[in-house]
Amino acid sequence: MKGDKHEEPEPGPEPAAPPPSTDEEEPLLEFHHSYRELFQFFCNNTTIHGAIRLVCSQHNRMKTAFWAVLWLCTFGMMYWQFGLLFGEYFSYPVSLNINLNSEKLVFPAVTVCTLNPYRYTEMKKDLEELDRTTEQTLFDLYKYNSSNSLVAHARGRRDLRESLPHPLQRLPVPAPPHAASRVRRSDSSLSHSNPKVNRKDWMIGFQLCNQNNSDCFYRTYSSGVDAVREWYRFHYINILSRRQDTPMLEEEALGKFIFACRFNQVSCNEANYSHFHHPMYGNCYTFNDKNNSNLWMSFMPGVNNGLSLMLRTEQNDFIPLLSTVTGARVMVHGQDEPAFMDDGGFNLRPGMETSISMSKEAVDRLGGDYGDCTKNGSDVPVENLYGTKYTQQVCIHSCFQVNMIRECGCAYIFYPQPRGVEFCDYRKHNSWGYCYYKLQDAFSSDRLGCFTKCRKPCNMTTYKLSAGYSRWPSVTSQDWVFQMLSLQNNYTVKNKRDGIAKLNIFFKELNYKTNSESPSVTMVTLLSNLGSQWSLWFGSSVLSVVEMAELIFDLLAITFFMLLRRFQSQYWSPGRGGRGAQEVASTPPSSLPSRFCPHPASPSSSAAGPATSLALSAPPPAYATLGPRLAPSGSTEASSSAHTPGEP
Amino acid sequence: MAAGEKIKAKIKKNLPVRGPQAPTIKELMRWYCLNTNTHGCRRIVVSRGRLRRLLWILFTLTAVALIFWQCALLISSFYTVSVSIKVHFQKLDFPAVTICNINPYRYSAVRDLLAELEQETRGSLKTLFGFSEITSRKRREAESWSSARKGTGSKFLNLIPLLAFEKGETSKARDFRTGRKRKVSGRIVHTASDVVHVYESKGLVGFQLCSNDTSSCAVYTFTSGVNAIREWYKLHYMNIMAQVSLEKKINMSYSAEELLVTCFFDGESCDARNFTRFHHPMYGNCYTFNNRQNETILSTSMGGSEYGLQVILYLNEEEYNPFLVSSTGAKVIVHRQFEYPFIEDVGTEIETAMATSIGMHLTESFKLSEPYSRCTEDWNGVLITNIYNATYSLQICLHSCFQAKMVEKCGCAQFSQPLPQGANYCNYRQHPNWMYCYYELHQAFVWGELGCQSMCKEACSFKEWTLTTSLAQWPSEVSEKWLLSVLTWDQGQIKKKLNKTDLAKLLIFYKDLNQRSIVESPANSIEMLLSNIGGQLGLWMSCSIVCIIEIIEVFFIDSLSIVARHQWHKAKQWWARRQASPCPEAPPSPQGQDNLGLNIDDDLPTFTSALCLPPAPAAQVPGTPPPRYNTLRLERAFSRQLTGTEVSAES
Repeated sequence: MKGDKHEEPEPGPEPAAPPPSTDEEEPLLEFHHSYRELFQFFCNNTTIHGAIRLVCSQHNRMKTAFWAVLWLCTFGMMYWQFGLLFGEYFSYPVSLNINLNSEKLVFPAVTVCTLNPYRYTEMKKDLEELDRTTEQTLFDLYKYNSSNSLVAHARGRRDLRESLPHPLQRLPVPAPPHAASRVRRSDSSLSHSNPKVNRKDWMIGFQLCNQNNSDCFYRTYSSGVDAVREWYRFHYINILSRRQDTPMLEEEALGKFIFACRFNQVSCNEANYSHFHHPMYGNCYTFNDKNNSNLWMSFMPGVNNGLSLMLRTEQNDFIPLLSTVTGARVMVHGQDEPAFMDDGGFNLRPGMETSISMSKEAVDRLGGDYGDCTKNGSDVPVENLYGTKYTQQVCIHSCFQVNMIRECGCAYIFYPQPRGVEFCDYRKHNSWGYCYYKLQDAFSSDRLGCFTKCRKPCNMTTYKLSAGYSRWPSVTSQDWVFQMLSLQNNYTVKNKRDGIAKLNIFFKELNYKTNSESPSVTMVTLLSNLGSQWSLWFGSSVLSVVEMAELIFDLLAITFFMLLRRFQSQYWSPGRGGRGAQEVASTPPSSLPSRFCPHPASPSSSAAGPATSLALSAPPPAYATLGPRLAPSGSTEASSSAHTPGEP
Repeated sequence: MAAGEKIKAKIKKNLPVRGPQAPTIKELMRWYCLNTNTHGCRRIVVSRGRLRRLLWILFTLTAVALIFWQCALLISSFYTVSVSIKVHFQKLDFPAVTICNINPYRYSAVRDLLAELEQETRGSLKTLFGFSEITSRKRREAESWSSARKGTGSKFLNLIPLLAFEKGETSKARDFRTGRKRKVSGRIVHTASDVVHVYESKGLVGFQLCSNDTSSCAVYTFTSGVNAIREWYKLHYMNIMAQVSLEKKINMSYSAEELLVTCFFDGESCDARNFTRFHHPMYGNCYTFNNRQNETILSTSMGGSEYGLQVILYLNEEEYNPFLVSSTGAKVIVHRQFEYPFIEDVGTEIETAMATSIGMHLTESFKLSEPYSRCTEDWNGVLITNIYNATYSLQICLHSCFQAKMVEKCGCAQFSQPLPQGANYCNYRQHPNWMYCYYELHQAFVWGELGCQSMCKEACSFKEWTLTTSLAQWPSEVSEKWLLSVLTWDQGQIKKKLNKTDLAKLLIFYKDLNQRSIVESPANSIEMLLSNIGGQLGLWMSCSIVCIIEIIEVFFIDSLSIVARHQWHKAKQWWARRQASPCPEAPPSPQGQDNLGLNIDDDLPTFTSALCLPPAPAAQVPGTPPPRYNTLRLERAFSRQLTGTEVSAES
């Protein structure tokens, strides 16, 4: 840097100085006169260690051979090592870093669901037929007689049976002969979704067929409870998709479900939650999702600095055959992620205070060449139907839905509905059940390729939950608590403790772990290692390579000039030109050693060189000035490319 | 003297201290480039052709820049850590386990102190919610007893009245005690941030807190009456309890024998003596297992529930304070020995009439401190005094910080944390308006405005027990009868027969004896750094430390000395000219001519020729200082330079 500054004055005066004295001028590019000269120059000035000995000790054959061997050995060693280093770098190794951070945390979104999709009273009209059929079936199969099934019985079962497709049947475990007679044997397949239990060799299931009834299979269950629930669910889905109207959210629904809500000792308000309806889990309220005007932050761990909810868990208007659990379902998820209540939920027990402590963990992957992950899902060949942040769940569900629409022509009700596609209903799509279960099978065995298509997101945040329970309200305090709730929230104290539940969600600690990847070999370390190897074996540097490049360039240039010269001399005046060329090639001019010896005063001799040559008017030394001299003579295209930059 | 002179002369002869050999900076550079081992530089000088030279200058400068850039990257990434995860299989130390009853004091014991408060709470419940209870005999007794003291008047409601706000209007509130409406003045702060509420309830309930001069007040409203009553009750409860001495409180709370019915550890029986008491202001007496001073830390020989801690707890549900706690159970926290258990913040609840199994998995983490990360082993570098008698943790630091701020701002200490030196707990006899101050301060603390979060560093090493909880109904229906009667007989001091809902079983054990430790270690060592830098130097320029020294020598020391010499000569010249100012014309021209001649003969660099040639005709103009200066310098430098070149040529 500094050297450059000192050097600077030199080129400055030089261009200014030349005009008066022409012989002082230094041309833009100067070429050596002969190979010999070139090599001598190279040997004198090169910085490649082995090369000096190899090329420059030409007087001793033995020595040259010895150095050639040595040179080749070190060369080989170096490139072998280079190969190893590059191999390591291009395998893109990563090293794992675990950071323990402690800082204020954004409270995650919390979704709470009622576990009951609709009030039974509201749905009664739609479900009437299904319920009656179910009771009839239960009576037929298990001799279970519920109170109002008798009414249905009186109405006659035949017609009811006909109205609903896919009736529940009791099937013998070996493929039934009468079933086989109905269906062509080759096409029939029996899918067991549960390991069979030998209960009188009977199984319960229902039949699903494709469009033209050419292929049918039975979906069988070993337990009647499972079979009835699954069958009921199947029909319920169809009924739901027929109910086009979205359930209106009664404003008091939240008040009826959530009695009290506090975060950080402060009451929640409308801005803090959003609502959606899940066909299985009912009304779901998401607290602190992305719609929240200012996101909740936790500055301190502990119960007092978390979310605290009082919930109603009464089940007097639950749909009896659909909801077999009571309580509430809660899920903790990231702000911009949809709540998959099926996948990551947590059931709350009624009559209990459930304290869920969370600890956060984040994973950052490098992506790109270093691993198979996607930054924001834009490069995944699956359309995101949820319109939220990319997660693997979102992708897989979207992938399934897309396949469902393609294969079956309708959308599955639990997944989002793309524009212009309607939900599946066997009145419109009579074979969708067949199609769906086939697809489900293909999906879980990854024949659809959803699991390979959906890549991991590069940044993931997970919340680890652990729960503790205590009875709530306590015997001594329940009187006033119930009284209070009944007054404020119109809660009727019917079944005391089982009707309410309390939930606390808080951070156990503000420490959170970040597992991140970093490249274990970076470009800098790769270069350092290459440099170390290079210095060790060769003692040369990148600049030495440039020297080599220059040498090659010079060689080419000289060859070109020489050929040009020969051509010229042959064409114009063969005798003189040939001699001149020979002179150039063979005779080292006497002035050369003095010119290129590493003498401090050497450059000035270059000024002297041309001067003498001018005086002698001999061709060889004028090589440097050949270009300029040739150009005026107007010799064809020979005004070589090397000189053109200097000309204007 | 003579001898001294001799030695001096000898030294001068043997150790000649001379300046740089080159007379000018340009010469010095040329000399350096020809002789240095650094690649590239020599080519600048040796190459023929201006373009070539320029290219070589560019190449060299690029290489230098790359070296600087890459080395900067290397140095900046020096303080990185690499993490190793080790899994040991060994005999593990059992952690300290602290168990508390959720209810702090036996209600029968604290009833005397809280009688007035209870009565007033019931009163306000009645006026507010029309709650008249269907009470047990015991409670009615208490009520009659407290009604006898009714003459004292309602002092709690006087101090901080509970207010019911009509829907939609916040400036008017109904006072419970008097029943008449009163105007709420002052600044109104709703902790419920919006008046439009989620709940279409009849109105809001809250209380008003004012600062000392009652100029600023804050109204704290709650959407649910349950929460309002509990908060209001808690405030007064803290006030009352702050005036009770510690011994009395300990006596009022549960004893170890009472709480722990049975105890079993690692296949051997244990009892209350294995537990140390620790008094928590909000949870009463808590008992810590395996935390005894001057005793070895217990360890488990095997994983699995048989080899852990098994206790049956007696949580007398009838003795629960109805307003302070509304849930039944116990709290358990697993922590390191001599670490303060923050039972109110973390901790797992245990249910009555249930067996709770807690499986543990130990993870240890060690971080590197200072230049690598901002953490501390002990209280080093943390400006907060420790008010807990325990090892450092982030939680302790935060709580200590809050307590210190509380004492500073409000003049008294908060009830649920230990007492700092020279302070006493807040009560409204001495500090009538501490509650307002506390609420304000706590709000600021929770929102991170006190700066505690930035003052406290995280701890460098910590152990973490990941807990997995599972529940089972206990005791089973068939075993219930004999089990309860045996336990009742065991607990001689308890008069009444044990009930299923008064008991809880707890098992804490290591799931396996694998210990995961996450250890950070420096990713780079100084040798690595040096070898990497060496690699970079070698790669681009084949340079070494010696080269760098050389560069420093040439570019800084020698260049500076040359410049200094020039200045010195200039100054001298100037002085000489001033002395001989009368006739300066005569000498310059011959000397300038001399100079010119010398230049041509000896092939001095083009720089000088360029400088000297053009002036040659002009040199006749008398009195131009440059030639004279030149000659002076050249004459002297020339002889030196000659010797220098000769030496280099020979070698």
